[in-house]
This record gives sequence, C-alpha cells and structure tokens, in this order.
Amino acid sequence: MNVMAVVDAGVDLAGLEDLTLYRTEASIPFAGRYRLVDFVLSNLVNSEVKAIGIFPSHPLGSLLDHIGKGKSWDLDRKKDGLFFLPPMERNRSRYSVGNFGAIAEHEDFFARSSQSYVAVTNCFTICQLDYSDMLASHLRSGADITEAVKGGQKLRTYLLSKELMMKLLRDFKEKKILSVEDLVRMKKTEYHYSEYEYTGYVGVIDSVQSYFRESMALLDEQRWGTLFLPERPIMTKVKDEPPTQYLADAEVTESFLANGSTVEGAVSCSIIGRAVKIGSGSRLEHCIIMQKSEIAESCKLSYVIADKDVVIGPGVELHGTAEHPIVLRKGQHIMKEEKR
Amino acid sequence: MKREVVAMLLAGGQGSRLKSLTYDIAKPALPFGGKYRIIDFPLSNCTNSGIQTVGVLTQYQPHRLHHYIGLGTPWDLDQRNGGVTMLPPFAEVRGMRWYEGTANAIYQNIAYLNRYDPELVLVLSGDHIYKMNYQLMIDHHKDNGADVTISVIEVPWEEASRFGIMNTDESFVVREFVEKPEVPESNLASMGVYVFNWQKLKQYLQQDNENSESTHDFGKDVIPLMLEDGAKMVAYPYKGYWKDVGTVDSYWEANMDLLDSTQGLNLHDDAWRIYSSNPQLPPQTVTKTGEIKESLANEGCVIGGSVKRSVLFQSVRISEGAELSECVVMSNVQVGKGAQLHRVIVPPGFHVPDGFRIEKAQEEVMLLTEQQIEEWEGSVS
Repeated sequence: MNVMAVVDAGVDLAGLEDLTLYRTEASIPFAGRYRLVDFVLSNLVNSEVKAIGIFPSHPLGSLLDHIGKGKSWDLDRKKDGLFFLPPMERNRSRYSVGNFGAIAEHEDFFARSSQSYVAVTNCFTICQLDYSDMLASHLRSGADITEAVKGGQKLRTYLLSKELMMKLLRDFKEKKILSVEDLVRMKKTEYHYSEYEYTGYVGVIDSVQSYFRESMALLDEQRWGTLFLPERPIMTKVKDEPPTQYLADAEVTESFLANGSTVEGAVSCSIIGRAVKIGSGSRLEHCIIMQKSEIAESCKLSYVIADKDVVIGPGVELHGTAEHPIVLRKGQHIMKEEKR
Repeated sequence: MKREVVAMLLAGGQGSRLKSLTYDIAKPALPFGGKYRIIDFPLSNCTNSGIQTVGVLTQYQPHRLHHYIGLGTPWDLDQRNGGVTMLPPFAEVRGMRWYEGTANAIYQNIAYLNRYDPELVLVLSGDHIYKMNYQLMIDHHKDNGADVTISVIEVPWEEASRFGIMNTDESFVVREFVEKPEVPESNLASMGVYVFNWQKLKQYLQQDNENSESTHDFGKDVIPLMLEDGAKMVAYPYKGYWKDVGTVDSYWEANMDLLDSTQGLNLHDDAWRIYSSNPQLPPQTVTKTGEIKESLANEGCVIGGSVKRSVLFQSVRISEGAELSECVVMSNVQVGKGAQLHRVIVPPGFHVPDGFRIEKAQEEVMLLTEQQIEEWEGSVS
C-alpha cells in the first residue's frame, strides 16, 4: 500500500501513571497477552502498510524489548519494515498525537521511504482500522488531512500526503503548531479536512479507569468478537509458554486467560495474563492479573489490577471497586499483615 | 565449517499404528500436548543442549513438516553456519533413491555430514516425547572412550519384550542388543538416541551399504554389525520422562500424562523450554456456562461446556452443555451443544454435532472418524 505510518508512542497520558512507571503507555499489557502497541501495529500490517516508524518516549526499554526488529509482525524486512525512532530531546512534553518536534528529528525516515501518504496514529486508541479503506476515503474527498472518527468520537488517527507532512515539518516552528492533532484542532486553518467514518471496535485507554473498563468490556462475547477478527489477527511477541493448566480444584468462569498460567483457585469475570499462578482456595473476581504474577493460597481479591511480577502472599484480601480498582505496581509484594 | 557434533533427526516415519492421525502427516509432525508437535521435543532438546547443526531426514508426507520447520526460527536454529537443514531423498547422477531404512538415510547424506567434518554424530528419532540434555550423554560417550553410545531407559520388566533391549555389564558396556526379546535378560530399553564417532560410523555405513542382505536399519543391522566387529558400545542410562507415542493408546496416554504435574513432563520449566511455532491467537475464554478442571487448554479456545481431564489444542470451541472427560481435542474442533465424549481423540477441524454420543466400551480409547459422525447423524435423523 502507498502509505507509510508514524506511530506516536510518546503521548503523555496523566491518568495511567501507575501502569507507566517503568514503560511507555505503548507497552502496557492488555487483554491477557498483548501490549497496547500490538493493536496499532497489527492494524497497519493487516492493512499492508509496510514502512512503520515508532516514535516512543522514555523509558524505552520495555517497548524496545517487546518490539525488537518487528519479527512478530513480519516487519523485519530488508526493504521498508519497522523503524524505532526515539526522541533525542528527552524532556519534550507531548500531549497530542503526531508531535512535529519528535518527528522532525527523524526526517530522513520520510526521505528514504517511497510511499506517497503518511498515516499518523497512536497506541492508546484500540481499534481494527483498515488503512486502505481510510486512504480510499481520503482520496475520494480530496482533503488535505483526513481523520478517522466513529460517530463523533475522534480516533486521533490521521492521513495526509507525504508532501504535506514534509512541508509541515519545515514550517511547524515558525507557525507554532505542535502536532498533527494540534493542527487539525486549530480553528483558523489553510487546509481542507475530511472525516473517515469507521464502524468497528474502539477502546480508548487513557486512565486507569478506562483501562479497567475497556478490559472488562471484552468479557462480553460480542464485543470480544469485534476486536478479535480471525481475518485480521492481532499479533504480539512470541513467548513459547505452554498451554494453560487447570488443576482439579480450579473453578473458572466468564474469564479469559493467556498461555502458561496455572490455575488452582476460583476465577470469575477476570483477565489472566501469561504465566500467572493462582493458588488453591484463592478467589478472584473482576481482576486483571498481568504476566508472571503469583497469587498464593486462600487469597480473596476483587477489582484488583496486578501489574507484572506481583507476588501476593497467602490469605491476602484486597477489594477495590469498579470505579477505583486497586492497582498493584510492577514487582510489588503484598503479604497478609499489609491488608488494605 | 567444522562442527564437533551434528545431529541427524530421523523424521521420515509414517507411524502407521496411529491410524488416521498420520494419514496425511508424518509422525514427527503430529500435534501433541495442546500446542506442540512431536518434533518440537528433539529439536528443543538440541537447542537447549547447545547443538546448533541439525539435519532433519524426511520421506513420508514431508510437506507439512518442511513448512512447519521452515528456517528453524522457533527453535533458534536459523543460523548462518549450520542451523537446521531439511534432508529429503533426492535424485543424483546414479538415479533416484528413496531412503531404505534408518542407516541408509544417513548413508545417503554422508556429503551433508562431511561438510561439517564432525567428530560425533547424534542420531535422534522424531517419535518420542522427552526432555534430555544430549550434552551429558556426549560427555559420557567421551569419558568412556566409546565408538557408539546408546541412550537407555529402564522399562517395567513385563513390558521389556516390546523394546530393543541392551544387555550390558556393570559398567554399562553393551554385550548384546536384542530387538524385542521374548525372555528379556535386562530391562534397559534403547531410546533410539545414539552418539557415534563419525569416522567409525561412516566406515560401518559403507560396509552395511554393500551388504545386499541388510535392511539398512540401525537397530537391526548397523548396531549388531558394530558389536560383532568389536566396536566399543556403551549404554547411557537416562532417568526421566520418556514416551514412545507409536500407537493411538500411547498417544492418548502421553497426553494424559501431562495433566499430572508430578508424573508427566514439566512444560513450565524456564530452563528447558519446549519451543514450537506460535500461531497468533487471542487468549482462551471460559464463558458463563463453561467449566474446566484438570486440563490443559491452548490459546484461541472458547470453553462453554464442561471439560475434565482433557487436552484442548488451539481454537477448540466447546459449546454449552457439552461434556468432555479424558479427551484429546485437536485444533479447530467444534463440539456441539450437549455432545458427550469420554476417552475420545478428536482429529483437527472436526465438527462434533449437537447431542453427539458414541457407543463404545467405557474405558476404551477411541479415535473419532468422519464415518462415525456420519453414521450418528444418519441414526438420529
């Protein structure tokens, strides 16, 4: 396809701090076995976009480790493929999508790619966008910039010609425009805008509350079916975990689980990540447990988000609410006396 | 480029006792344990043992296997020097030749082995489920100054007459090799894992090739020839889980063994991962009506019925009201509402109709066929 992509993975989302202490929002685990960035990358690859630049913010480690050279998305190519383009200026605030300052630092990405159009998108809007359909709409309208929307909700994803992008990268300082999103939101403008009406799944993750809400909403089979489309698979980093093991006392209902987990206890309305252990007699309701966390015996947890590598000792009881789930930070250890 | 050890993995077998499971795939490509294929075990053992040059000999239904292994990426065997090489039979100036026995398959690939000029050749088969550090066996081989080392496992005495049995002295030097003895003298069974000094082996392969009486098989011909000739043959006693999945019953048993975390194979061992190709599928879902205990399930499954003591491969759908116990359900199977299956192996892609039941002796393990489904549909309509 004649489109290259700018994936802005560095937008500051103040409401997600508990989950972004050690990572950018792009690598927040979601839906058991994915990271947020997987959805946008898979959308682009499924739309046959072959040149993809990722513009992250710090800390980079987690995202870099997850994406590598893009092998899991078939993006480790000789021609085009995946480009990891971190910012040279560290302390730039980025509150909108498609920050020109960050993009301009890697202007040669545009020069060495042959595509004529640029998609500018983000990691926190989860959807199943077909960029070739969006391009067709963009060409039909004859607009300078097209934004994807769903019934008035803005997906903060844009399409423009590379020529215009290059021009904006030259002029943005002088014209005091911060980003592609900023440009589109300006009241006075010399450009012609259009909207592409998208109809599929949308989930915006910009706070712990929306993270929890969107995660739990996937337990609804119909909603799940609009995100996980067999013909447009969501790809992620391969882990070689064995199948999930359910032991004799396991009681699992209305939940989804990634591979490598071992379940001895009771789990309902919850999302279990890869290689999680849930001890016997423990009872989880409305919880999100991320990769490699361990829950010992006889715990009672409800409305808890446990980030990676959390260890919960025997007999711990933690109860949050749907509006205010308890967030356990990555690597945190909770023993019984620390009952909340 | 020289390599100290090259592994040769015999993956050409049909596995005819596995019936319809291997009609259109070679036995090493047979899915196992919810997400693996049998060949993942020897290949992962190679990678985990630091053996990075592996020839895979194929013959029966090779295409799926070739496609599956590809460049060897899932096992980290996509390497510039060595890595995995698929070795199907080929045509040459003197004509076309199929592999006529395990030894003949290696004989016909002498040129491949010569390219690496190895000291040792590790011969493996693609038929067994086990985790083994081949490096320890190679050390044992070197310490004993052996010409050939054969890995052995103690089997129950009453089953010994089903195996190739090694009769050894106290220091595990092999005196005699007997294929399926009626009255076994020992219970040390060959696991089909051999370490040979390459120069010695080459010499015997050439000798065996000239013998028109020979069936060109390692167990039947080459090993006895080497013993007769006075080559130093040592048994390497292996302890741990090992299972030959040669029949429908043993295939089912090996899958069930995985459900018992103490007796079976530990698949959760980070230090000895079993690598496999990973399809990109969403997590498994247990719905409001679903129930799953003492089971293994892979990604992409949707469990809406009751599943007990079973192994579910990827993307299996169990509808509401269905009841499964002690089943092996292979990928992309759909089990209809209220269907009841006990001790049944369901081949990939089958659609088990709503309300399906099958008449059979309770404890008998059955491999479901399309014909049985058609007959059942005929009987209820």
